[in-house]
Amino acid sequence: MEILEWIKLIVGGAFLLCGLLIFLIELYGIFHLDYVLNRMHAAAMGDTLGISVSLIGLMIISGLNFTTLKMGLIVIFLWFASPVSSHLLARLEVSTNENLGNHCSIYDNLEDLEKELIEEKIKQEKETGGEEA
Amino acid sequence: MELIYQGMYIAVLITLALMLFACLIRAIRGPRIADRIVSVNMMGTMVMVMIAVLSLLLKEGFLVDICLIYAMVSFLAVIVISKVYMGVYEEKRHNSEVKSNKIGMEGEETHGNT
Amino acid sequence: MSRLKPQKEYEKTGAFHFFRWLSGSKDPYLGEVEMKPQKEVEITEATIIERMNEKQMIRDKVYDVKHNRQLLFFDRIYVASAILFCVILVGLLLYTVSYLPKTGNPTNPDNNEVSERYIESGLQETGALNIVSGMILTYRAFDTFGETNVLFIATCCVMVLLMVDDAILKKQEVKNDRRYEPKNDAILQGTAFVLCPIIFIFGIYVILNGHLSPGGGFSGGAILGAGLILYVSAFGFKKTQRFFNEHIYKIAKITALCMYGIIGSYFYILGANGIENHIPLGTPGHILSGGIILPIDICVGLEVACTMYAFYALFRRGGL
Repeated sequence: MEILEWIKLIVGGAFLLCGLLIFLIELYGIFHLDYVLNRMHAAAMGDTLGISVSLIGLMIISGLNFTTLKMGLIVIFLWFASPVSSHLLARLEVSTNENLGNHCSIYDNLEDLEKELIEEKIKQEKETGGEEA
Repeated sequence: MELIYQGMYIAVLITLALMLFACLIRAIRGPRIADRIVSVNMMGTMVMVMIAVLSLLLKEGFLVDICLIYAMVSFLAVIVISKVYMGVYEEKRHNSEVKSNKIGMEGEETHGNT
Repeated sequence: MSRLKPQKEYEKTGAFHFFRWLSGSKDPYLGEVEMKPQKEVEITEATIIERMNEKQMIRDKVYDVKHNRQLLFFDRIYVASAILFCVILVGLLLYTVSYLPKTGNPTNPDNNEVSERYIESGLQETGALNIVSGMILTYRAFDTFGETNVLFIATCCVMVLLMVDDAILKKQEVKNDRRYEPKNDAILQGTAFVLCPIIFIFGIYVILNGHLSPGGGFSGGAILGAGLILYVSAFGFKKTQRFFNEHIYKIAKITALCMYGIIGSYFYILGANGIENHIPLGTPGHILSGGIILPIDICVGLEVACTMYAFYALFRRGGL
């Protein structure tokens, strides 16, 4: 039984440490990247992966009871809610920034982007094909 | 055993508190409003983890309820703030466009009269 | 709309008039009282000067102090007696306060006996496992009633200030109802479709479990209001009005306040006269226990939810 307790502590602590590491990466990303739409990518990772990993660690430590169920509920709720809030924030940024073109290229209709992507793909295939030949 | 757990919890709490300060710096420095909302949302996530750790440290299961409500309220805050800000911005732009159109038309009229 | 009597006979009864008045389908003044549209007031410089002089003129005419010695005498007596009354009141209160024990003294009864009584016999007297809930809703129910009234009056004031007339609201519906916002956000709508029922159920759970676990009327009502705000921001005001419009808002709010008043006054009157009340306390720990705490929690929860939603809707749009 003593061994089981130790295993619980070590596994839970490792998960908690992983969560903290993910939060640290998120923090680094928030200061390193230089535009909101890029920073949002780092922030969203912490919102979903970071909290779920650290809460899984806490769930393992607390064992099977009502608290564990509620923690699981929090994780599920954040999986629902966080992408939606990120989506709305991105929409806010795109619709209120007047010189968005300085930060990224904008396509008015999707077909242009698709065409460009296909052309790039063909180019790459040609290059790789040429190298092989 | 108990001591190890308590030490681990307190270490996690202190680390999270330091991270919160870093987030606060981003929220103050952030050039655009979306920056600030993103960092405040991040702070909310960290506070949620802190509350969950605290509930295990104090052995009070009902603190997790507060965590759930916190998650809900921060989600709602982001939605309402972004929607209202978008609405206000669009309204301002619309009003200024109407105004500039009016001024332009008046200028043309006076030009024609003279 | 009676099933027993024909329509013509039913229209003569009091019930018909009462329900017509309740539903607001007929204004009792319309058609009975002669009404004329108000004249437009013209504001010129002359009228402004006249109005500025009016106050002084009325004062001179009514309180003709120069010639009327009696009035002058009364004026001075009035001021003197007002000052005297205030001084006496302050002195009385200070005299009473001097009998109270010193603040911050550790042996004061409010530091020992009151909390001791709450903690030791709270469970037997109120039947609530959650001591805080038992305290604020039975021992101090009068305070909480005041808070609920404050919420009610605050929404009334905001309504008086910000409510826009219905006709104008309908005219500007296109403009006001999210003209400038992204209108049909499919992602947000899909999430709200899943999350709203869960949030409502969680709020109801917090309200109904107020006497067993932390929570209660105020926090549960806030969660319900948050769910309503989420629904509005996802689906718009037009769809929300299908289940929560001004009519339902009025009914819910006033019924909750009146129910709280009735239950509370029943409790105070019996308690003040030392009569045993007939609300069973039940076994602590069951959902149906705690005497008056559960119904009062429901009333407070409804009140808070209505207040939160009304504030949002009034500031956002100017109407419910």
